[in-house]
Amino acid sequence: MPAVPRRRRKQFYVRRKVCRFCVDAKLLIDYKDVTTLRQFITERGKIIPRRISGNCARHQRHLTRAIKQARLLALMPYVPSPPPS
Amino acid sequence: MRRYESVWVVNGDLPDEEAKATIDKFTKIITGQGGTLVSVEEWGRRKLAYKIEGTYRGYYVIADFAGQPAMVKELERNYRIDDRVIRYLTTKKADKVDLATLEAEIASKAQEAARVRAEAEKAEAERAAAAAAAPAAAPAEPESTTTPATEAAPTEPAVEPGKEA
Repeated sequence: MPAVPRRRRKQFYVRRKVCRFCVDAKLLIDYKDVTTLRQFITERGKIIPRRISGNCARHQRHLTRAIKQARLLALMPYVPSPPPS
Repeated sequence: MRRYESVWVVNGDLPDEEAKATIDKFTKIITGQGGTLVSVEEWGRRKLAYKIEGTYRGYYVIADFAGQPAMVKELERNYRIDDRVIRYLTTKKADKVDLATLEAEIASKAQEAARVRAEAEKAEAERAAAAAAAPAAAPAEPESTTTPATEAAPTEPAVEPGKEA
């Protein structure tokens, strides 16, 4: 956590991030659901950290597991293949 | 008994019959070891995210079943022996299963499968009827211009499931 700035020159509007899986009970974490999982990885195939995505610890844990399972089954890449040029 | 879900990927360079043969083989292992099969889902051929054993294609099959832990061990042993299988993953979905709910699910899944099959057959029959009607209607009245248009519509949904496979 950054210290509270003494001079408030720049105002930060940090939008409160909420866990999408807590908000929407219908959204389930499943290693077979690649379209949902894909929203939580970067273009480089890395798992987006909780600090960025705003997921709660519990759901991030489930999500990480699901992504790793999907990678094993080659549903998702470990490292994306370069675009054909 | 525990509830499991097992996915296995068959090398996509092999013909479809080989992939179907693995379904037969592994479902027999599940039932042979005292397991209860709930459903088998075929995703069919899919592009892999990376190369496995020299191929970019895989045939995905998902089995939903209940059984003992020893049965899973036996199943996975067979996955490893079979050269056609390039990847597999078994996950536990529930620690306990209620036989009554399990049977209800099997029944509903079977019903659903029958409904899908009936729909496909109906679409197939309609397409056949349309094909039979088209040449017969062609030399007839000017009315024939309207019939192909109406008959073209029901055939379209029948084509779509084929695209996914």
